[in-house]
Amino acid sequence: MIKKILLKYRAQKAKEPIISSVIKESGLMLNILYAQFSLDGGEILISVDAPTPEVNKLIESFKRRGVEVTEITKAIQLHHEICFDCGACVSLCPTAALHVEHDKSIDLDEEKCIYCELCVPSCPVRALKLSKF
Amino acid sequence: METKVNRSLAEINEKIRRGDAVVVTAEEMVDIVREKGEVKAAQEIDIVTTGTFGAMCSSGAWLNFGHSDPPIKMQRVWLNDVEAYTGVAAVDAYIGATQLSEKDGFEYGGGHVIEDLVNGKEIHVRATAYGTDCYPRKEIDINVTKHDINQAVLCNPRNAYQRYVAATNSRNDTIYTYMGILLPDYGNVTCSGSGSLSPLHNDPNYETIGIGTRIFLGGTQGYIFWEGTQHAPTKAMGNIMTIGNLKNMDTRYLRGATMQKYGTTLYLGLGIPIPILNERVAKTTGISDDDIKTNLTDYGIPRRDRPILKEVSYAELKYGKIDINGRDVPVSSLSSLKRARGVANELKRWIEEGKFFLSQNVQRLPTDQVFKPMKQLAAVPFARDVMTRNVITAGPDDSIVYAARLFADKGFDHLPIVDESSKLVGIVTSWDLAVAIGTGKEKLSDVQTKKVVTAREDEPVDAVARRLEKYKISGLPVVDSKGELKGILTSDDITRLLGKVRR
Repeated sequence: MIKKILLKYRAQKAKEPIISSVIKESGLMLNILYAQFSLDGGEILISVDAPTPEVNKLIESFKRRGVEVTEITKAIQLHHEICFDCGACVSLCPTAALHVEHDKSIDLDEEKCIYCELCVPSCPVRALKLSKF
Repeated sequence: METKVNRSLAEINEKIRRGDAVVVTAEEMVDIVREKGEVKAAQEIDIVTTGTFGAMCSSGAWLNFGHSDPPIKMQRVWLNDVEAYTGVAAVDAYIGATQLSEKDGFEYGGGHVIEDLVNGKEIHVRATAYGTDCYPRKEIDINVTKHDINQAVLCNPRNAYQRYVAATNSRNDTIYTYMGILLPDYGNVTCSGSGSLSPLHNDPNYETIGIGTRIFLGGTQGYIFWEGTQHAPTKAMGNIMTIGNLKNMDTRYLRGATMQKYGTTLYLGLGIPIPILNERVAKTTGISDDDIKTNLTDYGIPRRDRPILKEVSYAELKYGKIDINGRDVPVSSLSSLKRARGVANELKRWIEEGKFFLSQNVQRLPTDQVFKPMKQLAAVPFARDVMTRNVITAGPDDSIVYAARLFADKGFDHLPIVDESSKLVGIVTSWDLAVAIGTGKEKLSDVQTKKVVTAREDEPVDAVARRLEKYKISGLPVVDSKGELKGILTSDDITRLLGKVRR
């Protein structure tokens, strides 16, 4: 199962090769979806495809290194009460997380979403919103 | 031509009154005609309902605010900071869907004002005037809802195109158009229209549709009152002018919208009932998504006549993938097929419940009109007319010192880097040289910009100027279709050109 995890760390931690050491220790393949850094510290969104016990171990490894870990379940939200099911977003979505259902309504498969945010400005009625972590 | 089935509009309306008219949607009619043939279909079906729900930029509403005391003849008026046209005396104004808010720009415009009016929200009305003896007042600042004003009439010059082109982008950068966001290198395709449900495509000979035809418009009854502007029936690009009472409309079928970095628009639900007068009409209402073709067009070339890549059907577009150069490219529909079905079904329900009767048109729409291009007096200059042809170039292995000498001797700012076959591989500017000297680089290939923004010889200068502005650069190489360097065009060249035009 694919899980998405948000890592937050203080600025001083930027000197340590945390991601590399966690990858080595866990032996898991991590995909970095998004990263940013400011004076308040850093934020990295990763996804990992592994059984739950291994993901839990991974989370522990990050925590041991002083990283704040949050498991993400939702980030881009499709507000169905605003959406009128055109599909302007569909061809921009690199992972086909946004797709056309059989009855021609538009839906978001959150598991596939990588939060690239390309879809957000494409929506003519702003039904796609990026919720803050 | 003689027909086997002959049914009058009066007969159909009588059946609606009795509650036994047989109504199907245009999607349902496809299979009926396919299975039974047009004669049998015409015998069985009285009415086919159509529908579309898409961006209809050429829309707007007439509003009348009533007279103030003392009265004002509005010279300029703003509704929620979106300017409306008021050059029609006193207190009438036309709010157009694509007019942008002076405060919020692309995020709010005329289309949103119209949606807010329909929703019964308060609209801030601000007006100015020069004042006359009969209309002395010079300013108005009020809040109104649709209930406070006299007329609120949706009145659209160009709606419900029979079909529309599909768009893609050959350029190597993302472009933002009225056809939505188009990714680089044919990264996606966008399209518009409802295919087999398309109102005008179900009666393309206008045997039943004309001036005075009663239609579904924005969730209420409206009318066709003329052919639309840019009506081009011979190219299967016919369209209609529509009118209806905005106060009775419903935001399920009318929404303000924004096309990113392009502007605002109005999404509108529109449906036309087609009376099946004979088997000829039955046959045209049996048209399927496979039968309706459109041109896949390259919006990367900002010209009036954009290059056509190939013909595609609405069946392919609705499937969601189009083959371009052997690659499966994803398709976005900008129209909502789900809502288009909703329109056709709602119209069907109105007729079945005896709430909607068909009207006899007073005049058919023109079938032979041609849409003319603009009459322009001055020829548009192209990149090839303005560029410098004798360009000094260097190779990637040439030294920084050599390039510095060229810059000093010739007094230019851009040095294109070409390979042996004079194909453009990079560019070096005087700034790059300064950086090279500062960091101790020796070869041009170490400092050149490899992803070069270029122009094509046959591009209008306006398009090139927009690119210079977009990338914040002062010059770019001009290449032919093989990527061979043909010239260089700088902002100085464009400035000189403007000087010439003014003189």
